[in-house]
Amino acid sequence: MSSSDLTRLLKAAAKGEPSASSELFPLVYDELRRLAADRMQRGLQNQTLQPTALVHEAWLQLTRAGDRKWENRAHFFGAAADAMRQVLIEVARKKSRLKRGGSQTRLNIEDVDIAAAAPEDHVLLIDEALTKLEAESPDDARVVVLKFFGGLTNEEVAEFLGTSRRTVDRQWAAAKVWMFRQIRREAAR
Amino acid sequence: MKNPTTGPSRELAQAIFLGAASLPDPAERDAYLRSACGAHPQLLARVKDMLAAQAEAEIFFVKGAQALGRIEVGEAVAGVAEPATPELDEELNIGSDRFKLLQKIGEGGCGVVYMAEQEKPIRRRVALKVIKLGMDTKSVMARFEAERQALALMDHPNIAQVFEAGTTGTGRPYFVMELVKGIRITDYCDQNHLDTRERLELFRQVCRAIQHAHQKGVIHRDIKPSNILVTLRDGVAVPKVIDFGIAKAIQGKLTDRTLFTAYEHFIGTPAYMSPEQAVISAVDVDTRSDIYSLGVLLYELLTGRTPFETKEMLKAGLDEWRRTLQEKEPERPSAMVTALPGSEQQMIAGRRRADAPQLISILKGDLDWIVMKALEKDRQRRYETANGLAMDVGRYLQYEPVVARPPGRMYRFQKLVRRNRGVFAAIGAVALALIIGLGISTLLYVKARESERRQIELRKLAEQAQARETALRREADARAKMSEAALLVAQGNRDQAAGLLGDMTGLPSNPSLDAVSAFRSVGEFWARQGQWRTAGKYFRALIEIDKFDDWDVVTLDYQSCGVVLVEGGDLAGYEQFRRVAVAGFANTPNGDAASRILKTCLFQPISADTLRELKPLGDTVEKWMAKQDPKTMNKWVIIPISLWKLRCGDNGAAFDYCRAELDAKDVVPSCLAPMRLIVAMACQQRGETAEAKTQFVLARDEINAEFCPQLQHGDRSAGIWYDWVAARLLLREAAVKLGLPADNGGSTK
Repeated sequence: MSSSDLTRLLKAAAKGEPSASSELFPLVYDELRRLAADRMQRGLQNQTLQPTALVHEAWLQLTRAGDRKWENRAHFFGAAADAMRQVLIEVARKKSRLKRGGSQTRLNIEDVDIAAAAPEDHVLLIDEALTKLEAESPDDARVVVLKFFGGLTNEEVAEFLGTSRRTVDRQWAAAKVWMFRQIRREAAR
Repeated sequence: MKNPTTGPSRELAQAIFLGAASLPDPAERDAYLRSACGAHPQLLARVKDMLAAQAEAEIFFVKGAQALGRIEVGEAVAGVAEPATPELDEELNIGSDRFKLLQKIGEGGCGVVYMAEQEKPIRRRVALKVIKLGMDTKSVMARFEAERQALALMDHPNIAQVFEAGTTGTGRPYFVMELVKGIRITDYCDQNHLDTRERLELFRQVCRAIQHAHQKGVIHRDIKPSNILVTLRDGVAVPKVIDFGIAKAIQGKLTDRTLFTAYEHFIGTPAYMSPEQAVISAVDVDTRSDIYSLGVLLYELLTGRTPFETKEMLKAGLDEWRRTLQEKEPERPSAMVTALPGSEQQMIAGRRRADAPQLISILKGDLDWIVMKALEKDRQRRYETANGLAMDVGRYLQYEPVVARPPGRMYRFQKLVRRNRGVFAAIGAVALALIIGLGISTLLYVKARESERRQIELRKLAEQAQARETALRREADARAKMSEAALLVAQGNRDQAAGLLGDMTGLPSNPSLDAVSAFRSVGEFWARQGQWRTAGKYFRALIEIDKFDDWDVVTLDYQSCGVVLVEGGDLAGYEQFRRVAVAGFANTPNGDAASRILKTCLFQPISADTLRELKPLGDTVEKWMAKQDPKTMNKWVIIPISLWKLRCGDNGAAFDYCRAELDAKDVVPSCLAPMRLIVAMACQQRGETAEAKTQFVLARDEINAEFCPQLQHGDRSAGIWYDWVAARLLLREAAVKLGLPADNGGSTK
């Protein structure tokens, strides 16, 4: 699939042309799957997450959110990464809630022992810190969303954001440390 | 910057941190930090803290990515409450006291299959399929339960049983099946270089298994090579159909919410989906969808390709793929292979122990039509049953004429209408608009009396429409009866089918091919019962239908019809039939067809007028005969020409055509007896009464010894029933001419 094909379809879909959305799905399906699979691989050997289900849910999020004004490929994948984040966090919250007897709607970061955090709590901690980073430095936060939830490589992130690979390396390294210190500080409070 | 108080210092700290982090040497790093932070101990402390946290942060994010990888999206979204168990094999938690998982043996779009050992109720190895996608487990189980009884009824050596279904500890559905150690059928055929006939034999077994399931009310819905495994039992290849009932349980109804499951399904095996399965709105799948998938399987077994390049089509978009599936005719198998590049042709043919031209000529004709009939877009035109498909493949293997045939002209026109329904409907709409427009102007400008007259006309139109509707309903009813009869015939219940059709006076217009062959079978059934008049009705109706087609079967129907009418004593009907036959075939260039029609017109002595009418046919046959090689020709063709010569009064020629064959060893009795009788009648005319008598007696004995059992059993190797009826007609005629008794002891009349 060429980038311009996708861009054309995205624009058609945003205009609400009925066939565009169904045409779009098979086109972006592979790309979405690759994103999901990449992200899984970075999750190392334990691959119990189903990329297919993730892709489907992400696609639902994308099409459900009324503002389908995707300018281009980069914009679309940005939206896709956001959607994946939303799906994963929703699931993690649900699981975390189930474990705690369903009373809380939000995780209290103070309750969590970082070292022994359950997987879903671990993800929730990162998400909370990411939200804070978004207020602090939206550009760095964008890189984290694309990398951590979108599963893109640094090159891809650079391409999509129109910056250099080196800039992305630096943003990612800095963001990780910033977020980790943020989480640690919250936990120690 | 949103937070000016922390902003600059954060940015500065970050810049220094990144600078320091890029310096691997500790001494160099220290020097850099000192110079960069200079007089700001707070800044220095902060950057040092950041550097110290770097490794830990790295680990935290790697673990975070792992954690992300453990979140099971599907189930949690589907709302299944489950305990979070971070064990690696949580998905296999299905009551380990009952199953011991041995190894993973496969993974597909929707599930993972394990080999497992079952402890209770018996110790055995089973295949365990755990459904992977996030699905509503409750409805999957409900759908499976609904079909469980039907599944339990299936007992067939070519069907892998599904023992039970259940839910894993994490809420996923799983299925326990008979363990089949085999490879997919296409791989088996290619690896063992099976030739086309061997492939067809395997395929017939698959069809019979599917038929068995259909008779128990189970539709597979997902027939494809990976669901048909070939195992070896005592060195014999046995195909086994797996996954029965599972596709239905996990498919369910397509709604917006499950659309994505459906997409997944499309992307899994769209090549094997029937046009009606691809339509999202109408999920109206019946046994004939399986027939379509069988057609795709046959296509792939024969050509190594599926009818459509699905991947290519999907690239053009889902709607485009659906449209193609609904409208585009696939290439015939022979054409598909012909169009391939030479190297690929050689490879595909080589796997079938043939060279490319051989393979193409094997596929051309009957096999093309069989495949195309199974792949019809309109399921009414497909084989009605899997057995019907298996039987046609069987006919091909036995070198008999197949039921499938190339589309006739009428059929092609109907297809054109079907394809361009929009255009035809538009023409109708324009006409309707004109009518309405006229109606309005009439009402506005014409006087009341005229308006009244118009009302009467309209009422008349309405009455006509109603009558038409009644006719249509009657026809729909007839159609339903026909398909039921077709099924009964396919199951061998000819008498029941005959009972069902007993009061039917004609066929519905445009019946399916299976319906026609059912009609034919019932006609033959009555003929075998000696109910010649009833049989005659069926065959005359068949002749009417056959007018729309141009194929071998047509002339076979004419052959049956002729003898049945004469045997039933319906001589007026026979006269009429003869005129229809002559009108239809007088100008045929096909010598074989001409000779069959000629023969069926000659079972009664003919008038000078009829002789003149038949002359063109006779000439065609005579010219055609001259081109035949006497050594290799089919002996049956001698009867029409010699009988024709006899009717023309050319006794010498009639005698010469037959005489040489009378001592041949390889002529079947039902063919030999008529020849003897023709010789007998010719000799009688020429005054050679001794020879006439000899041949007559030989023929009479053969006919009376063979007629009865042949008529009852219709054993094809010894002659088809109508050949024996034809022989007896000639016997009676000769008996009168020679003044000898025909000794009708063998008659079933």
